Amino acid sequence: MSTSTTWKERLAGKIPADMAEEIDAFETQIHLRKQGKMEEKLFAETRLRRGAYGQRYDNGQRFDGTQTQQLLFPEHETKGPDTFWHAPGMMRIKIPFGGLTAAQMEVLADLAEEYSEEILHITTRQDFQIHFIHIEDTPDLMRRLSAVGITTREACGNSVRNVTACPLSGVCRTETFDVTPYAQAIMSFLLGHPDCQDFGRKFKIAFSGCEHEACGLANMHDMGGVGMVKTVDGVEKRGFKLYVGGGLGAVPHQAQLFNEFVPVEELLPISQAIARVFARLGEKKNRNRARIKFLIAKLGIEEFRRLVHEERAILPEDPQWTAFLDDLTVTDEEQLKPGQPLNGAETSEGFAEWYRTNVYQQRQAGYVVATVALPLGDITSHQLRALADISRRFVKETTRTTVEQNMVLRWVSETDLPQLYDELLALGLAETGAGTIVDITACPGTDTCKLGIASSRGLATELRKQLGEQSAKLDEAIEGLRIKISGCFNSCGQHHAADIGFYGNSRKINGITVPHFQVVLGGQWKENAGSFGLATGAVPSKNIPEVVSRLAKRFVEEREKDELFKDFIGRLGKREIKAMLEDLTQVPSYEENSWYYRDWGDTRGFTMDDLGKGECAGEVVSIGIMEIAAAEREVFEASVALDENELQAAWQGALNAMLRAARTLVKEQFYDVPEEADVVVAEFRTRFYDTELFSPKFANYLFSAHQDPASEFEQTQVHRFIEEAQLFIEGAYTCYYKIAAPLEGAKA
Amino acid sequence: MGLMQELQRINIKMYLEDPEALSAEEAFRVFNSWIPTTPDEVLIDVADYSHVPEGPVTLLVGHEANYSLDNDHAEPGLLYSRKRPAEGDLSARLSSALQAVIKACQRLESEPSLDGKVKFRGGDILLVANDRLNATNDEEGENALRAELEPVLAKLFAGASFAIERDTTSQLRLNLRVRCDTNANAATLLSNLAA
Repeated sequence: MSTSTTWKERLAGKIPADMAEEIDAFETQIHLRKQGKMEEKLFAETRLRRGAYGQRYDNGQRFDGTQTQQLLFPEHETKGPDTFWHAPGMMRIKIPFGGLTAAQMEVLADLAEEYSEEILHITTRQDFQIHFIHIEDTPDLMRRLSAVGITTREACGNSVRNVTACPLSGVCRTETFDVTPYAQAIMSFLLGHPDCQDFGRKFKIAFSGCEHEACGLANMHDMGGVGMVKTVDGVEKRGFKLYVGGGLGAVPHQAQLFNEFVPVEELLPISQAIARVFARLGEKKNRNRARIKFLIAKLGIEEFRRLVHEERAILPEDPQWTAFLDDLTVTDEEQLKPGQPLNGAETSEGFAEWYRTNVYQQRQAGYVVATVALPLGDITSHQLRALADISRRFVKETTRTTVEQNMVLRWVSETDLPQLYDELLALGLAETGAGTIVDITACPGTDTCKLGIASSRGLATELRKQLGEQSAKLDEAIEGLRIKISGCFNSCGQHHAADIGFYGNSRKINGITVPHFQVVLGGQWKENAGSFGLATGAVPSKNIPEVVSRLAKRFVEEREKDELFKDFIGRLGKREIKAMLEDLTQVPSYEENSWYYRDWGDTRGFTMDDLGKGECAGEVVSIGIMEIAAAEREVFEASVALDENELQAAWQGALNAMLRAARTLVKEQFYDVPEEADVVVAEFRTRFYDTELFSPKFANYLFSAHQDPASEFEQTQVHRFIEEAQLFIEGAYTCYYKIAAPLEGAKA
Repeated sequence: MGLMQELQRINIKMYLEDPEALSAEEAFRVFNSWIPTTPDEVLIDVADYSHVPEGPVTLLVGHEANYSLDNDHAEPGLLYSRKRPAEGDLSARLSSALQAVIKACQRLESEPSLDGKVKFRGGDILLVANDRLNATNDEEGENALRAELEPVLAKLFAGASFAIERDTTSQLRLNLRVRCDTNANAATLLSNLAA
């Protein structure tokens, strides 16, 4: 029986002193905010930097299928703007490079049981997330994590987020060297570092050991390092090919090469100098332009590099820069058993398929990495605890999470695989298809995210089900494709880097909102997220499985030998793809088929009574919506021009599309607005930007292009500009639904 | 004993007579309908976890407590998870948690769209003390909890005898499985508790 009355007492001496102090301080801040003695915005950023995030419906409102209802939380205190104190929130838990011990897994399982509902979610950045947490439970949760060496510090907020690395680091057959100790070192160095406390936005770091695999996805991070070896004066030296300014988000940016070879001794000081430049010159007021990618785009990589080197030269010497190099074995792993081959042992049904898709041969003979594929990245507390036990008995606690929302067991002796498979099977953890088309990545979307527009998890579940049923018949050409889904344009599902990506949006049909997904094709997962896809058109959510089916069929039938999917998509061309999917963009009326008017995995829909209210207006499509649809078409045409390398035409087409959509909105208030671009932009600014009726982030895409039109056209820039134009159109739809007559807005 | 009195997070599960009687989709739909129609509790959202085996298949998230169609150990039932502090001493809190889960079972049993197919076993209850700090899964913890629980159960089952069993696996939370040979329905159990 316990004799402690609090976790703070129970864990006294087991938590590092600095961490204990920080958590105590956070607990005090919770009390201060409750008493109204701490400003809500300040508290919001404080809790975010501790990993305590908001969740859907925390503004106290929820649409019940017919109308928006107030959620009557007992008091009206807030933990941030429009965020009720008592509303459940999400806790993000940083797992550097995904590495976990058995004890850590057990504590995570305990926390999910006691503070949530027995589910843990693995994110696309190797973190864990636990949902439905009460803010007042977070200090104890942090203490219990801290006692086993895990922090939630800077898991959210404008800070250096979890440092990710390839889950095969150290055992990979093609890596240059094991990047794990470097990931660990930079994580420790930058955590809470004074130079990283004044960013305008978050900063994400990733490491890869290989240049040509997906690995750490260095190209889509604020800073990405790819392990390199260089011979200097006959001595082999380690370093990193360092990339900066990559990122997905609403408008993806491919990272730019900062330096071909940063010696390992310079990794930390250069990172510190980058952080200083970002903190000093990065945007602070406009969050939508505050990631480092915008700073680098503004300065140019040459100037950015110069500033970083200038900063590096004046940095005060810090022994931490190189201290970690004295012991690079700190993250080394031990083997529990000798590596031995399978040797034809008897296996259970299903083993062969699991072995084919979920087992990776390490470069160390006789050892393999076994992937535990987790649908939607979810695992129960019971499963995780059992996996901790497995990680003690089969390996020496060598487990990692992956950015594909799975877990891996490393250093499994191959001869143990049949028994391991049987035990995983008994736990419901022997899903096959890891890293294949059925292993779909999805962000939380409308399930829990405040920003989710459509149900990414619902769609992923449906696609997984349909593809899983066909898995035995799937052509080898498509088996290795990646599908990634985001609930909105913010890319948490990493849809830009997938062969087939989707992000949630919506359209109105006869006045009723219908969930849609934008189809994004042509991305590349390998080569560290080597290229990003482009939007091809919005399709009703319920037709997305058919989109996948048609694309897969076409690829199987028409691909050229060894042709990559992204190359096939490029060869096919957007016009052809658009034509192929055109019929799928159509939505029957609610009366014909109300199924389209509900999202995957959600039973909420419109009752006949609801429909009755909107019927009189519902059959008319306004000229405004038609005009915005026409502008959307112009964006598509711009992307076709891009494919055909008509860069200037593509750029101009995208700008014209934005102007058309902007003029459509202005016309709602100023019917005789002239067509001159200057007038349209000025009127749009006054009526929609200044009044905040239109997303300022998207409005700025138009203002920037109009004010400073491109004079030279480069493929990457035009590609990005077309993405911006597409988002401007999304913003125009949203704004129009807000401002238009009740005819259009009745069921917003 | 003193620490057991601190126990606030109380989970109680009642088991379906027919394990197949309530699908994830049905639970999702019904739980959604409860959100705007339950004035005495703040219910917030429904989450689908049917893709995870032996977990909370369908979760109705609330402020004071969660409800879920739970499939732990492949034994489907309705799980009530009290999260926020409740009034009264531990005995009163155990009683009110029992009352809440039985009421929810009764509501499911009488849900028109489920055609009366959902029935719960009145004499099979799992209680989990969801608090490893104040309620450890050992003999001392069991005795302390039983001392509070048994009088409540005696009332619930109107004096009928019952058996209590604990899964002693050390990593589990303190848990007590209560079995009583009774055919009492939800209304009777609620009436017994209120007596």
